[in-house]
Amino acid sequence: MGTFNFFLYSFLINALIATLLTSLTTSAVGVFVVQKKMSTMGAAVAHSSLAGAILALLLKINPLLGAFILSILFSFLISYIGKKEEGRMDVMLGLVFGLSTALAVLFLSLTSTYSVSAWQYIIGDVLSVTIDEINILLTLTFTTLLLITLLFKGFKFIVFDEETAEAMGLRTDLLRYTLTMIVAIVTVISLKVVGSILTIILLVAPAASAYEFSHSFEKAVILAELFALTSGLTGLIASIYLNVSASAITGIIAVFTYFLSYIFSTKRRKCKCIVKQIRVIKEKTL
Amino acid sequence: MNIVKVENVYVAYGPFIALEDVTWSIKKPLFLSVIGPNGAGKTTLLRVLLGLIKPFVGKVEVLGLDPSKKALKLRRRIGYVPQRERIDPAALVLVKDVVLMGRLPKKKPIAFFTKEDVEKAREALKLVDMDNFWDKPFSHLSGGQQQRVLIARAIASQPEILLLDEPLAGVDIASEGRILQALKNLVSEGVTVVIVTHNLNPSLKLSDEVILLNRKVVAAGPPQKVLNEETLTKTFMREMKILRLEKEKVIVEG
Repeated sequence: MGTFNFFLYSFLINALIATLLTSLTTSAVGVFVVQKKMSTMGAAVAHSSLAGAILALLLKINPLLGAFILSILFSFLISYIGKKEEGRMDVMLGLVFGLSTALAVLFLSLTSTYSVSAWQYIIGDVLSVTIDEINILLTLTFTTLLLITLLFKGFKFIVFDEETAEAMGLRTDLLRYTLTMIVAIVTVISLKVVGSILTIILLVAPAASAYEFSHSFEKAVILAELFALTSGLTGLIASIYLNVSASAITGIIAVFTYFLSYIFSTKRRKCKCIVKQIRVIKEKTL
Repeated sequence: MNIVKVENVYVAYGPFIALEDVTWSIKKPLFLSVIGPNGAGKTTLLRVLLGLIKPFVGKVEVLGLDPSKKALKLRRRIGYVPQRERIDPAALVLVKDVVLMGRLPKKKPIAFFTKEDVEKAREALKLVDMDNFWDKPFSHLSGGQQQRVLIARAIASQPEILLLDEPLAGVDIASEGRILQALKNLVSEGVTVVIVTHNLNPSLKLSDEVILLNRKVVAAGPPQKVLNEETLTKTFMREMKILRLEKEKVIVEG
């Protein structure tokens, strides 16, 4: 019984750490992804990391390594196409999204039997995260947060106005490639925790919720972190008590938080005040 | 040394010729207005000067550098103000964030703002009469105020040349006057100001030189020499008239 408790305890600690790391990274990057309107790109990269993980399972190497390599390749491909075919980005992203998903399905079909391991990367399985994977996630999280902190001002410039950033001599190519590489790393971090399908929710929902209460990137990042941590931890606890998928509950809570944020948005509330004022003025003049 | 020298430049987008045999130069700091209808190649000309587009024929030299070869080095000496429509008006930035962006290009990729950066940014905001808006969200400003902040960002970079793409589009008359006066003051400090516009009247009074452009340079020189009904009609491809209103020229469609 004691041994069982020890194992249960270590699973929970690993799950808790993995959830914390995923929430921290996805939400911070998510603010840039949402503001730069890159969420489809995030989804495409998430699916390419799934393809990489399944390919790695086939080749019997570390799935996170496979996910890392393929997601980086796809993120660079998208970044390159994005620059060359700026006007047709929507179509190009659709094609890359389709290609990464097709590759994932192809590799999945090549597995000899129904693969439980592969399934973990599709829908996530936070309770199966191992100590080795935690070490990888810690390294990737540290790298991601360090890059975001150091290049924060440059990222802010290219997200706000890339044209001027380039025209005034900022190294926009370097910044764009680094930002997309960070998105790729984040999809790898969240692959085992929420799975490739639900990664996009963690990238988009906390950042979109934070937008409703922020006027600066800095405040949006802090709020997005709080929203993501709340969703992640609540999802984890709820999944243990209800014996359901943690990633699904986390995703539902994150989206529900967005709807609440939309309703109670301080930005929209101001608009309502103005509408009310106009109505009062109109009534007075009538 | 010429500040800008453009010789026999041709630019094409696929089969469409955007600039044809364009030649002109700037020898000393001045206020230059590039005027022409939509699709005349005005923005293309700015992009050529910045090295963002390479002409397929012709020679370009800006501040003694070839923009297509020394792009980064050159761009860090140029301030640029884009068309405001290209910027998300609800972006998550404060006014100070936007103006401080102008200080970034001259720094290394991993940058921290110094006291001097903040001072220069505040000075630039003051020049466009927006210093009271330092901590305000960019999204709370009117179109004209946003335009002035974008100009302050370019000024904060301490450029030798300032290029502005339609800076007066969607700006009210009061803001228009403030923007133009701030730009004119920069010229007296040794900055060359080039504004691109399809709206002739506002900038004419302050322009030292004018280029009438419609893919080709129709006319170039001081406004009083260059602007007449013939050149304007040729540029805009419709009849244009010049009226006199209390000694000032006002250009209207004929």
